[in-house]
Amino acid sequence: MIKRVAIVGIGTTGFRPITPDVSYRELIFEAARKAYTDAGIEPSEIGGFITAAEDFLEGYSICDEYCPDQIGAVLKPTQTIPGDFIQALATGYMMIMTGAFKTVAIEAHSKASNVKNIDELMGFAFDPVYNRPLRETPHAIAGLEMTRYMFETCTSAEQCARVVVKNKGNAMRNPYAAFGADIAEKDVLNSDPISLPLHRLDIAPHADGAVVAVLADGETALALSETPIWIEGLGWCTDTPTLEMRDWGEAAYARLAAEMAYKMAGIANPAGMIDFAEINDEYSFKELQHMEALKLCRPGEAGHLLESGATSYAGDIPINVSGGALGVGHLFEASGAHKILELVEQLRGEAGARQIPDVNIGLAQVWRGVPTATGAVAILSNM
Amino acid sequence: MATTEKMSKTTTPTHWDADIPVNYVYTYGLAGEAFFRAIKDRGTFLGTRCDACDITYVPPKAYCDRCLEALDKYIDVGTVGYVDTFTVSFKNMDGSEKPRPRILAMIKIEGTDGGIIHYLDGISIEEVALGLPVQAIFKPKAQRKGGIEDIIGFGPVKR
Repeated sequence: MIKRVAIVGIGTTGFRPITPDVSYRELIFEAARKAYTDAGIEPSEIGGFITAAEDFLEGYSICDEYCPDQIGAVLKPTQTIPGDFIQALATGYMMIMTGAFKTVAIEAHSKASNVKNIDELMGFAFDPVYNRPLRETPHAIAGLEMTRYMFETCTSAEQCARVVVKNKGNAMRNPYAAFGADIAEKDVLNSDPISLPLHRLDIAPHADGAVVAVLADGETALALSETPIWIEGLGWCTDTPTLEMRDWGEAAYARLAAEMAYKMAGIANPAGMIDFAEINDEYSFKELQHMEALKLCRPGEAGHLLESGATSYAGDIPINVSGGALGVGHLFEASGAHKILELVEQLRGEAGARQIPDVNIGLAQVWRGVPTATGAVAILSNM
Repeated sequence: MATTEKMSKTTTPTHWDADIPVNYVYTYGLAGEAFFRAIKDRGTFLGTRCDACDITYVPPKAYCDRCLEALDKYIDVGTVGYVDTFTVSFKNMDGSEKPRPRILAMIKIEGTDGGIIHYLDGISIEEVALGLPVQAIFKPKAQRKGGIEDIIGFGPVKR
């Protein structure tokens, strides 16, 4: 029997613009308790634990040390990945494939509301010698990317605005989402110019929240769960951090991560095989750029596909039916966690008002945001 | 403290304000030193070239990030390039409005695979376009300190 790994439990707090009533550790505790209840497992029975977190966002040096308590990992094998949840998921997958672990819990969270000046924090990610002295915001880098992407693919500002309309509209059907709204393209195009062509509403606002997932090997998964959600493909990669040497129009990090995941999942024709996808839309144009990088359509086609309704809730390939980052909120390292949560609920048939009928294969794709060029892809199925 | 009313600010419940009082020194390294010395002393840009991978790095790197060979031959790549992409930036880091919007651009240096991210100077929003040829404008030599701020911006090419 080919060894497989499944998600057997998942829990979340949902996502809100601010969460002043609880500490970040209490936020995580809630998601962990729900995930272990969902999996029908006690934390004492879990073999290993991984948190996806990054020191500066946490406001702690060596934040790893503050991770075990609230997920039941004290005095257990535990580690922190300074990357997205999907990168942690890949590590958990590999831990189980070694045979040394039957179960692994993965955690990611955002307590962005704890950071008083988040643009400054993101700006600190720039090269200190070549880029940081200009004191430009991270959104300016996204603006540079957007101009080039629109130029190379003949994508219009209206098409980008339509991504925002779609995703904020989708979020209205998602009880976890913080930023659902019924808006029109002109609301986006008339919003405050930030770094043109980017306007205020093209940018996903930050949100708080936590997600914990429990992974198990095939045998354990079938014993624990009636609806295990199988991990079929994983891929991740990082482009050069040197902004000056980058290709500004194409998301190569997403293309290569997807190729790795498709190969593992045995998917030769993504557009035909993938039933729905949750992909990074931290900036409106990113959804379109990433659709093309993931080969869900050809370069230049994403905007037209969007306009045709194919990527809407009831379309042929719904993209970000959860509302995406634009509708749910930008969750930093928990961005992938929210996407995996959506895939699991959809594939289990538990997505309520936003349930897409008859879905078997879903794709989640993340990007670690400006100024990174790191992407990861996960493909899950219920078969 | 229990909360009995809806909170709209993160500072409503009891909390602790904190900052990170840490300071850094970032040394330029071999390639950075060569690059900024050329700007300061000669008002030109340097790159390094990997012949095997056919890549010219600007700013220069001391190694090829593809084949990982050491690169130590610095070439003068001049100060002329073209607008690879641009954005009109309206905001300061603290979210406040800039006194005037500024055009930030990625300038691809002619004949290389890299370039400089900097402001356009003397080019209006109406004039800017992808592919527009531009040339670096430096501060007067006496005012240069050997850093990216020695560049005022990029303006029209002087013929």
